[in-house]
Amino acid sequence: MTASDAGRGAGPDAGRMIGRAVPRVHAPRLVRGQGHFVDDIDDAGALHAVVLRSRVAHGRITRFDPAAALAGGEALLVLGPDEIERFTDPIPTAWRIPGQLTGTVALGDRTVRYVGQPIGLVVARSRALAEDVAELVAVDIDPLPAAIGLAAALAPDAPRLHPEAPDNIGGRIHFGDDPAALDAVLAAAPHVVEREFAVQRINHSPMEPRGLLAEWIPATGRLTVHSSTQSPHAVRQELATALRLRVDHVRVVTPDVGGSFGGKVTLYVDEALVCLAAVRLGRRVKWIEDRTENLSSSYQGRGQRARARLALDADGRFLALAAEITGDLGAFAIQAGSGPFQVTGLALEGPYRFPHAGATITAVHTNTVPTGAYRGYGMQEAAWIRERLIDEAARELGHDPVRLRLHNLLGPDELPYTTRTGLTYDSGDYPAALRRAAELARERARESTGTVRRGVAVTASVEITGFAPSALLELFRIDWAGWESARVRVNQDGTVTVFAGVIPVGQGIETTLAQIVADRLGVPLDWVAVELGDTATAPYSDLTSQASRSVTLAGGALVRAAGRMRERMHALAAAHLGAPPDEVVLDGAQFRWPAGNATTGWSEVAARGWRGWGRPDPDRIRLEESVDFDPPAITYSYSAHGAAVAVDLETAEVTVEDYWTVNDSGVLVNPAIADGQIVGGVVQGLGIALVEEAVHDPATGRPLATGFTDYVLPVCADVPPVTVEHRCTPSTVIPGGFKGLGEGGVIPAPATVAGAVAAAVPHIAHRLTATPLKPERIWAALSEAKELSEAGELPGAGDDRG
Amino acid sequence: MKPAPFEYRAAGTLDEALALLDPPGRSIAPLAGGQSLVPLLNLRRVRPAVVLDLNRLTELAGVEVTDTAVLVGAMTRLHDLERHEGLRAALPVVPQTAARVAHRQIRHRATLGGSLCHADPAAQLAATAVALGATLRLRRAGGERTVPAAEFFTGPHRTARRPDELLTAVSFPRRPGFRYRFEAVTRRGGAGFPLVGVCVGVRLEAGAVAEARIAACGVADRPLRLTGAERALAGYGAAAADGALGEIADAAVAGSRPPSDLHGSAEFRGDLLRAVLRRAAVHLLTEGS
Amino acid sequence: MPIEPTSSTPISLSVNGAAHTAEAEDRTLLSDFLRHGLGLTGTHVACEQGVCGACTVLVDGEPVRSCLMLARQADGCRVETVEGLAEDGRPAPLQQAMTDEHGLQCGFCTPGVLMGLTYAHRAGLSADQAVTEVLRGHLCRCTGYAGIRAAVERHWQGEEATA
Repeated sequence: MTASDAGRGAGPDAGRMIGRAVPRVHAPRLVRGQGHFVDDIDDAGALHAVVLRSRVAHGRITRFDPAAALAGGEALLVLGPDEIERFTDPIPTAWRIPGQLTGTVALGDRTVRYVGQPIGLVVARSRALAEDVAELVAVDIDPLPAAIGLAAALAPDAPRLHPEAPDNIGGRIHFGDDPAALDAVLAAAPHVVEREFAVQRINHSPMEPRGLLAEWIPATGRLTVHSSTQSPHAVRQELATALRLRVDHVRVVTPDVGGSFGGKVTLYVDEALVCLAAVRLGRRVKWIEDRTENLSSSYQGRGQRARARLALDADGRFLALAAEITGDLGAFAIQAGSGPFQVTGLALEGPYRFPHAGATITAVHTNTVPTGAYRGYGMQEAAWIRERLIDEAARELGHDPVRLRLHNLLGPDELPYTTRTGLTYDSGDYPAALRRAAELARERARESTGTVRRGVAVTASVEITGFAPSALLELFRIDWAGWESARVRVNQDGTVTVFAGVIPVGQGIETTLAQIVADRLGVPLDWVAVELGDTATAPYSDLTSQASRSVTLAGGALVRAAGRMRERMHALAAAHLGAPPDEVVLDGAQFRWPAGNATTGWSEVAARGWRGWGRPDPDRIRLEESVDFDPPAITYSYSAHGAAVAVDLETAEVTVEDYWTVNDSGVLVNPAIADGQIVGGVVQGLGIALVEEAVHDPATGRPLATGFTDYVLPVCADVPPVTVEHRCTPSTVIPGGFKGLGEGGVIPAPATVAGAVAAAVPHIAHRLTATPLKPERIWAALSEAKELSEAGELPGAGDDRG
Repeated sequence: MKPAPFEYRAAGTLDEALALLDPPGRSIAPLAGGQSLVPLLNLRRVRPAVVLDLNRLTELAGVEVTDTAVLVGAMTRLHDLERHEGLRAALPVVPQTAARVAHRQIRHRATLGGSLCHADPAAQLAATAVALGATLRLRRAGGERTVPAAEFFTGPHRTARRPDELLTAVSFPRRPGFRYRFEAVTRRGGAGFPLVGVCVGVRLEAGAVAEARIAACGVADRPLRLTGAERALAGYGAAAADGALGEIADAAVAGSRPPSDLHGSAEFRGDLLRAVLRRAAVHLLTEGS
Repeated sequence: MPIEPTSSTPISLSVNGAAHTAEAEDRTLLSDFLRHGLGLTGTHVACEQGVCGACTVLVDGEPVRSCLMLARQADGCRVETVEGLAEDGRPAPLQQAMTDEHGLQCGFCTPGVLMGLTYAHRAGLSADQAVTEVLRGHLCRCTGYAGIRAAVERHWQGEEATA
């Protein structure tokens, strides 16, 4: 089939693809059960691994005896600490914090530091058999005192996790105004609102857990790993380090990935062990994480506390915002390490004008599973602190919360604007978005009925997208490359193949990138195939599809690459037709030269191009254009969110009855995909706000929510209709004008819901400082308010039950 | 995870199943709907030597309505219980309670007998069985006995069923003049477990409660009959409902022993018990008349 | 403690209209039997605890968490999986509605959602009931359920799928 076939879809709209809500190109395959996830790869002959994990939170392994497991012959390999240590090196951390001395994650350590920490691996012919023999490995661990949670880890007599981190402090940094200067401003301010905030640990809970199929071919010394990862290049680098291999001898391939959300961005110890097993055995070894493992041993997100203060003058003008943030690293500083806590400090100010602002971040080691990236990291925690403080200030000082926000929001004429912590916002109209959200709030507010109290609230936030200029990462000494690369190839038959380093994890990037290329080349969408996720063919990408950077950076690169390819195709067509290049137009599958009344097919031009016929340049023959794009600056999306909630005073249940967002992410490539990202993000935010919490037993450190019965995800019954409205301020730094939107949905959602709860039950508003706002937490606050009211200490609250 | 090894046996008849259980020795897990047992097998928290599949025992499925009772076979699926016309007319609280369990896909598989024998302290149907004073029919090879629901549940996931017995049927008495209501506060999430639930039955005379039967789930290590609250409720009528319910709820909480766990403290569950009891009572005394 | 040998038994069942006979270990779950025994990997396994709904298939027309059913229990049964929904090589209307309404993102929960909703539609449930009684039993981490609800609306309204 050639591109000139009419059946390929060349129509009047062909080429105008940016801004169209076309269906996802992979959807027809996925709805027919033709997904190709790791566990779907033909595993005939592969061996199956089970990970042995620590059952204690802190201790020394005194015995690891595989004899009984090996005795029957069912276990083909048992890896224990000795063998692991002999054949591996630690996995390095990428993002450090000043003072940080623990820069790696050890593989064969005889000290265990959290329940669920991998300590060994068993390989057998089937998963069930591997689980059978895993039970026969004798492991003794001498328990040590454990520090579960931030308070325990920071206690004066706390057990120490790492000798190099005294007091369990993994590092400290300050952003923004000097702490002493901030204290002075706060001391002199007419009004200061101060609260202690907390955001719980979250499990990413992708529907597909992690998993990999590793193949080592002894003859060639090459390791090929199919892995459900978000970051194949990073994993390849980490695997090479951990297993002492050359990078070019490791190939990492990502098949379909069933969700990630930041949870599959780095090499995990258990994944390295599976690969080590493949190397040791010279066989294919497969491991699929089960849900219990996922909920207890996969790295988590969030987990921080903050003391924060907002100072205002008599007119409600913000004077200062200060926060002391304490982040729970868990047992190790993994890849992103303290990054999420640092971003909280950097993003604290949001879209408001603060004459003074600053944040001190302290990263703390605890005897629990490490934390790392989770969708919207730092920014969600920052919005929680800031927007709750603003709502509380409005309540305490008697201001309307919307007017207080509008009073302090940065106006469009103030952009670009650099915050006190050094972020430079590029463009947008923040007040316009908030005014629209407030208008929707007025329309959607509903009355309280009986024991059901209702409230609405709106919030404002910004989203760091297109992270990040490589020079900025160098400045912060973060060991990542910020740039992206993308390649457009017009094949011999005129079809188009696109290669990029970003990864499809369900967000629809393969569709949006195809749209960008089809649009710029002027060809129908179904001529374009997007190839992602194989380190053997994909351009190098370190950060891949994290930090709302896929469309901005890979898309930005493709705008340029496809633009160049379009020029080359037109030039080749013109040469073939003997026409001036600017007189040739692409019309469907045909290049036309109206003045010369001549045409040639797109596919014919492609075929001639690959033959080198008519090439203008002997050094540039193959029809490929590759562009590296290192963004000159971060580009910022922004949004205003609104929620309407109902609080049942009898059961303390919070129901989100309505939700709306006004979002500006610049030029949208596919509005339906954009809406899907925003709504999906909002609902993950509702999970943080109301139900999700990765809890550990404070005494033993055992994870308590190890199944979806206890780790509660929102179901459709919990989710209101979410209205998404868009505004468009094109990015000034990204080709195509795109801004990212992968995280904007989740960032303000918990604060928005809490604001609405505060409006519904203002007498407990001061207690709404920690998520999730689960019924018991609301109930405790209501009970306390009722007792105070009955004791005459809180006039006006009354017995709400009538 | 995958289950630890076990032997699968499917019984074709009740007698065959009972013969397999006799004499007791090997650990045998009867498999009904599997919605509670199989997750435990998959997690290796339950490791029977034999899994005895009862799903072919169609003789144990069905609902029979008589003038004095409703007899429900242990292998009746909750979804069938929910939509059984005769049952909906005779004892509507049973289908109403069944409909509060999880969601349709689960109810298509889960059975009444399986739910009762699993004996989750928060299970809805157990509370309703206790409130109604149901009797459970237990068969063993060559014998049968009946056990009142209130005596069947002996602790969390523990019942009076002996290893060689199978629960074959549940008889729900039709008490003349009684009307019932089930109310629950359900945990969020896909599984839809109740935090606290209550089944309240009243017989009214001249607009006032002559007799009450109350049992709750999620407020103790087993479904609990709340006799104190029953006594407190007796004598109250619709007109008095508002002011009096506080005392009745207090009596209920006083008679309960709620657990504290990840999803709620004992105190919180106590307040939820007040809420669901109040709802059920208000419904029965006002809207339901 | 030695590993006890586990026994396998051949079972026969119909899957998407085709007869299959294959060995199943006593402890093998229907989900694993379909995926690894028959190679029908469209049915996904995401929790093995019966909560997420990703592994939902129809057994004799009724929705079943295939991770909560032993393969041997399906002996003699009629099983339908996501692979059987398309008719004559064309996507079923519900599949088309899910595609058009962006009812999926990563697509991992999708096969189970499709089977649950297929049951709901055949059982004569209203669109509202399909959401409140059936979709409620499925976890989706990506979409926030908006696209799935839109697909339900479209499918239940019986609109012609747009090409």
